Amino acid sequence: MMKEANNYCRQIGVEASPENLREVRRFVEEVSRDLQLEGDDGYDLKVAVSEAAANAIEHSGAESFLEVCVTQYPDDRLTFEISDEGNFHLSPRKPEQAGGRGLGLPLMVALMDEVRIYRNSRGGTTVSLTLFLGEQQQRETA
Amino acid sequence: MEISTSELRGVEVFEVRGEIDHSNAGRLSSAVDEPLERGDEVIVLDLSEVDYIDSGGVSVLLSTVRRLRNRGWLGVVNPNANVRRLLEIVGLTVDHGFRLFSDRAEAEGAIEEVISNEQGKR
Repeated sequence: MMKEANNYCRQIGVEASPENLREVRRFVEEVSRDLQLEGDDGYDLKVAVSEAAANAIEHSGAESFLEVCVTQYPDDRLTFEISDEGNFHLSPRKPEQAGGRGLGLPLMVALMDEVRIYRNSRGGTTVSLTLFLGEQQQRETA
Repeated sequence: MEISTSELRGVEVFEVRGEIDHSNAGRLSSAVDEPLERGDEVIVLDLSEVDYIDSGGVSVLLSTVRRLRNRGWLGVVNPNANVRRLLEIVGLTVDHGFRLFSDRAEAEGAIEEVISNEQGKR
Protein backbone atom coordinates (compact mmCIF):
# COMPACT_ATOMS: atom_id res chain seq x y z
CA MET A 1 0.00 0.00 0.00
CA MET A 2 2.73 2.41 1.02
CA LYS A 3 4.86 1.45 -1.98
CA GLU A 4 1.96 2.16 -4.31
CA ALA A 5 1.45 5.62 -2.85
CA ASN A 6 5.14 6.37 -3.20
CA ASN A 7 4.98 5.65 -6.92
CA TYR A 8 2.18 8.14 -7.39
CA CYS A 9 2.65 10.13 -10.57
CA ARG A 10 0.09 11.97 -12.68
CA GLN A 11 0.11 14.77 -15.19
CA ILE A 12 -2.21 16.99 -17.19
CA GLY A 13 -1.72 19.39 -20.06
CA VAL A 14 -3.80 22.49 -20.68
CA GLU A 15 -3.69 25.36 -23.14
CA ALA A 16 -1.98 28.37 -21.57
CA SER A 17 -5.09 30.46 -20.91
CA PRO A 18 -6.32 32.05 -17.64
CA GLU A 19 -9.66 30.25 -18.06
CA ASN A 20 -7.80 26.96 -17.53
CA LEU A 21 -6.55 27.88 -14.05
CA ARG A 22 -9.73 26.30 -12.66
CA GLU A 23 -8.93 23.05 -14.43
CA VAL A 24 -5.43 23.08 -12.94
CA ARG A 25 -6.92 23.59 -9.46
CA ARG A 26 -9.44 20.75 -9.96
CA PHE A 27 -6.43 18.55 -10.83
CA VAL A 28 -4.66 19.52 -7.60
CA GLU A 29 -7.86 18.80 -5.65
CA GLU A 30 -8.04 15.31 -7.21
CA VAL A 31 -4.42 14.66 -6.27
CA SER A 32 -5.07 15.84 -2.69
CA ARG A 33 -8.01 13.44 -2.45
CA ASP A 34 -6.01 10.56 -3.98
CA LEU A 35 -3.20 11.09 -1.48
CA GLN A 36 -5.57 11.91 1.39
CA LEU A 37 -3.65 15.05 2.24
CA GLU A 38 -4.58 16.51 5.58
CA GLY A 39 -4.81 19.96 7.12
CA ASP A 40 -3.75 22.95 5.06
CA ASP A 41 -1.59 20.98 2.61
CA GLY A 42 -4.26 20.54 -0.06
CA TYR A 43 -5.22 24.20 -0.10
CA ASP A 44 -1.60 25.38 0.01
CA LEU A 45 -0.76 23.19 -2.98
CA LYS A 46 -3.80 24.46 -4.85
CA VAL A 47 -2.79 28.09 -4.37
CA ALA A 48 0.91 27.53 -5.12
CA VAL A 49 0.30 25.44 -8.26
CA SER A 50 -2.35 27.85 -9.51
CA GLU A 51 0.05 30.79 -8.98
CA ALA A 52 2.82 28.99 -10.88
CA ALA A 53 0.37 28.20 -13.68
CA ALA A 54 -0.86 31.82 -13.77
CA ASN A 55 2.73 32.99 -14.03
CA ALA A 56 3.45 30.54 -16.85
CA ILE A 57 0.29 31.58 -18.70
CA GLU A 58 1.27 35.23 -18.45
CA HIS A 59 4.65 34.80 -20.09
CA SER A 60 3.78 32.01 -22.52
CA GLY A 61 2.75 32.96 -26.00
CA ALA A 62 -0.67 32.27 -27.48
CA GLU A 63 -1.46 28.65 -28.36
CA SER A 64 1.26 27.39 -26.08
CA PHE A 65 0.85 24.47 -23.76
CA LEU A 66 1.22 24.05 -20.05
CA GLU A 67 2.08 20.78 -18.32
CA VAL A 68 1.48 20.00 -14.67
CA CYS A 69 3.14 16.86 -13.36
CA VAL A 70 2.98 15.55 -9.81
CA THR A 71 5.21 12.93 -8.23
CA GLN A 72 5.34 11.52 -4.73
CA TYR A 73 8.83 10.23 -3.96
CA PRO A 74 9.71 7.37 -1.57
CA ASP A 75 10.91 9.87 1.04
CA ASP A 76 7.39 11.43 1.06
CA ARG A 77 8.36 14.48 -0.90
CA LEU A 78 5.41 15.59 -3.00
CA THR A 79 6.48 17.67 -6.00
CA PHE A 80 4.38 19.50 -8.56
CA GLU A 81 6.22 20.63 -11.67
CA ILE A 82 4.59 23.29 -13.82
CA SER A 83 6.28 23.52 -17.20
CA ASP A 84 5.77 25.94 -20.05
CA GLU A 85 7.45 27.08 -23.22
CA GLY A 86 8.32 30.61 -22.12
CA ASN A 87 10.83 32.45 -19.98
CA PHE A 88 10.15 33.07 -16.31
CA HIS A 89 10.43 36.69 -15.32
CA LEU A 90 9.71 38.67 -12.24
CA SER A 91 7.57 41.71 -12.66
CA PRO A 92 9.55 44.91 -12.08
CA ARG A 93 6.34 46.69 -11.17
CA LYS A 94 4.80 46.94 -7.72
CA PRO A 95 2.51 43.99 -6.91
CA GLU A 96 -0.66 46.08 -6.80
CA GLN A 97 0.10 47.55 -10.22
CA ALA A 98 1.02 44.22 -11.74
CA GLY A 99 -2.37 42.61 -11.24
CA GLY A 100 -0.95 40.49 -8.44
CA ARG A 101 1.78 38.94 -10.58
CA GLY A 102 4.48 40.16 -8.20
CA LEU A 103 2.75 38.39 -5.29
CA GLY A 104 2.73 34.96 -6.93
CA LEU A 105 6.30 33.94 -6.17
CA PRO A 106 6.29 35.18 -2.53
CA LEU A 107 3.08 33.21 -1.99
CA MET A 108 4.61 30.05 -3.47
CA VAL A 109 7.63 30.44 -1.17
CA ALA A 110 5.43 31.10 1.86
CA LEU A 111 3.23 28.05 1.27
CA MET A 112 5.73 25.44 0.01
CA ASP A 113 8.75 23.77 1.63
CA GLU A 114 10.83 24.17 -1.51
CA VAL A 115 10.46 26.22 -4.69
CA ARG A 116 12.80 25.76 -7.66
CA ILE A 117 12.75 27.48 -11.03
CA TYR A 118 14.76 26.10 -13.92
CA ARG A 119 14.99 25.90 -17.71
CA ASN A 120 13.40 22.73 -19.05
CA SER A 121 14.17 20.53 -22.06
CA ARG A 122 11.43 22.21 -24.11
CA GLY A 123 13.34 25.48 -23.87
CA GLY A 124 10.73 26.82 -21.48
CA THR A 125 10.59 27.21 -17.73
CA THR A 126 9.65 24.73 -15.02
CA VAL A 127 8.55 25.77 -11.57
CA SER A 128 8.95 22.93 -9.10
CA LEU A 129 6.94 23.09 -5.87
CA THR A 130 7.63 20.63 -3.07
CA LEU A 131 5.99 19.76 0.22
CA PHE A 132 7.72 17.37 2.62
CA LEU A 133 4.71 15.38 3.75
CA GLY A 134 6.62 13.11 6.15
CA GLU A 135 8.18 16.05 7.93
CA GLN A 136 4.79 17.63 8.34
CA GLN A 137 3.42 14.47 9.94
CA GLN A 138 6.46 14.29 12.23
CA ARG A 139 5.97 17.93 13.21
CA GLU A 140 2.31 17.28 13.97
CA THR A 141 2.92 14.20 16.08
CA ALA A 142 5.91 15.74 17.92
CA MET B 1 -17.22 34.22 -9.52
CA GLU B 2 -20.44 36.14 -8.99
CA ILE B 3 -20.75 39.58 -7.42
CA SER B 4 -23.90 41.15 -6.05
CA THR B 5 -24.27 44.33 -4.05
CA SER B 6 -26.30 45.47 -1.10
CA GLU B 7 -26.19 48.32 1.37
CA LEU B 8 -25.32 48.40 5.01
CA ARG B 9 -25.89 51.74 6.79
CA GLY B 10 -25.15 53.61 3.57
CA VAL B 11 -22.04 51.57 2.82
CA GLU B 12 -21.81 49.48 -0.34
CA VAL B 13 -21.37 45.77 0.41
CA PHE B 14 -20.13 43.45 -2.34
CA GLU B 15 -21.16 39.85 -1.85
CA VAL B 16 -18.76 37.64 -3.76
CA ARG B 17 -19.36 33.96 -4.48
CA GLY B 18 -17.10 31.28 -5.95
CA GLU B 19 -13.42 31.51 -6.80
CA ILE B 20 -11.50 34.77 -7.22
CA ASP B 21 -8.50 34.19 -9.46
CA HIS B 22 -6.41 35.84 -12.17
CA SER B 23 -9.06 35.17 -14.79
CA ASN B 24 -11.77 37.20 -13.03
CA ALA B 25 -10.08 39.50 -10.46
CA GLY B 26 -10.42 42.35 -12.97
CA ARG B 27 -14.21 42.21 -12.56
CA LEU B 28 -13.90 42.61 -8.78
CA SER B 29 -11.50 45.49 -9.33
CA SER B 30 -14.00 47.23 -11.65
CA ALA B 31 -16.81 46.67 -9.13
CA VAL B 32 -15.01 48.36 -6.22
CA ASP B 33 -13.70 51.10 -8.50
CA GLU B 34 -17.04 52.92 -8.48
CA PRO B 35 -17.27 53.60 -4.71
CA LEU B 36 -13.51 54.31 -4.66
CA GLU B 37 -13.84 56.95 -7.39
CA ARG B 38 -16.93 58.36 -5.67
CA GLY B 39 -14.84 58.98 -2.55
CA ASP B 40 -16.54 56.47 -0.25
CA GLU B 41 -14.69 56.07 3.04
CA VAL B 42 -15.71 52.50 3.72
CA ILE B 43 -16.13 49.53 1.40
CA VAL B 44 -17.19 46.08 2.58
CA LEU B 45 -16.63 42.74 0.86
CA ASP B 46 -18.65 39.81 2.12
CA LEU B 47 -16.46 36.78 1.34
CA SER B 48 -18.62 34.19 3.17
CA GLU B 49 -19.24 32.32 -0.08
CA VAL B 50 -15.71 32.57 -1.49
CA ASP B 51 -13.89 29.25 -1.38
CA TYR B 52 -10.70 30.30 -3.15
CA ILE B 53 -8.67 33.45 -3.66
CA ASP B 54 -5.28 33.80 -5.35
CA SER B 55 -2.78 36.63 -5.68
CA GLY B 56 -4.91 38.20 -8.41
CA GLY B 57 -7.77 38.61 -5.93
CA VAL B 58 -5.51 39.48 -3.00
CA SER B 59 -3.95 42.20 -5.10
CA VAL B 60 -7.36 43.83 -5.67
CA LEU B 61 -7.84 43.90 -1.89
CA LEU B 62 -4.35 45.36 -1.35
CA SER B 63 -4.91 48.06 -3.93
CA THR B 64 -8.33 48.91 -2.46
CA VAL B 65 -6.79 49.27 1.01
CA ARG B 66 -4.07 51.48 -0.45
CA ARG B 67 -6.60 53.73 -2.16
CA LEU B 68 -8.75 54.00 0.98
CA ARG B 69 -5.76 54.80 3.20
CA ASN B 70 -5.99 58.11 5.05
CA ARG B 71 -9.70 58.28 4.42
CA GLY B 72 -11.25 55.00 5.63
CA TRP B 73 -11.01 51.23 5.48
CA LEU B 74 -11.86 48.07 3.61
CA GLY B 75 -13.91 45.59 5.62
CA VAL B 76 -13.93 41.89 4.83
CA VAL B 77 -16.73 39.77 6.26
CA ASN B 78 -16.39 36.12 7.19
CA PRO B 79 -13.64 34.75 4.91
CA ASN B 80 -13.09 31.01 5.30
CA ALA B 81 -9.99 29.84 7.20
CA ASN B 82 -7.91 29.29 4.04
CA VAL B 83 -8.78 32.64 2.48
CA ARG B 84 -8.09 34.34 5.80
CA ARG B 85 -4.67 32.67 6.03
CA LEU B 86 -3.68 34.08 2.63
CA LEU B 87 -4.76 37.56 3.72
CA GLU B 88 -2.56 37.12 6.78
CA ILE B 89 0.45 35.94 4.74
CA VAL B 90 0.41 39.05 2.55
CA GLY B 91 0.10 41.28 5.62
CA LEU B 92 -3.38 42.60 4.91
CA THR B 93 -4.82 41.72 8.31
CA VAL B 94 -2.36 43.97 10.14
CA ASP B 95 -2.87 46.95 7.83
CA HIS B 96 -4.69 49.79 9.59
CA GLY B 97 -6.78 50.31 6.47
CA PHE B 98 -8.17 46.80 6.72
CA ARG B 99 -10.85 45.35 9.04
CA LEU B 100 -11.84 41.74 9.45
CA PHE B 101 -15.38 40.94 10.63
CA SER B 102 -16.86 37.59 11.60
CA ASP B 103 -20.32 38.63 10.39
CA ARG B 104 -22.29 41.50 8.92
CA ALA B 105 -23.56 42.63 12.33
CA GLU B 106 -19.96 43.21 13.43
CA ALA B 107 -19.31 45.19 10.23
CA GLU B 108 -22.46 47.21 10.87
CA GLY B 109 -21.23 48.11 14.35
CA ALA B 110 -17.94 49.41 12.94
CA ILE B 111 -19.77 51.45 10.29
CA GLU B 112 -22.02 52.97 12.98
CA GLU B 113 -18.88 53.99 14.84
CA VAL B 114 -17.60 55.82 11.74
CA ILE B 115 -20.96 57.56 11.34
CA SER B 116 -21.12 58.69 14.98
CA ASN B 117 -17.49 59.92 14.84
CA GLU B 118 -18.37 62.03 11.81
CA GLN B 119 -21.42 63.43 13.55
CA GLY B 120 -19.25 64.25 16.55
CA LYS B 121 -16.90 66.28 14.35
CA ARG B 122 -19.71 68.43 12.97
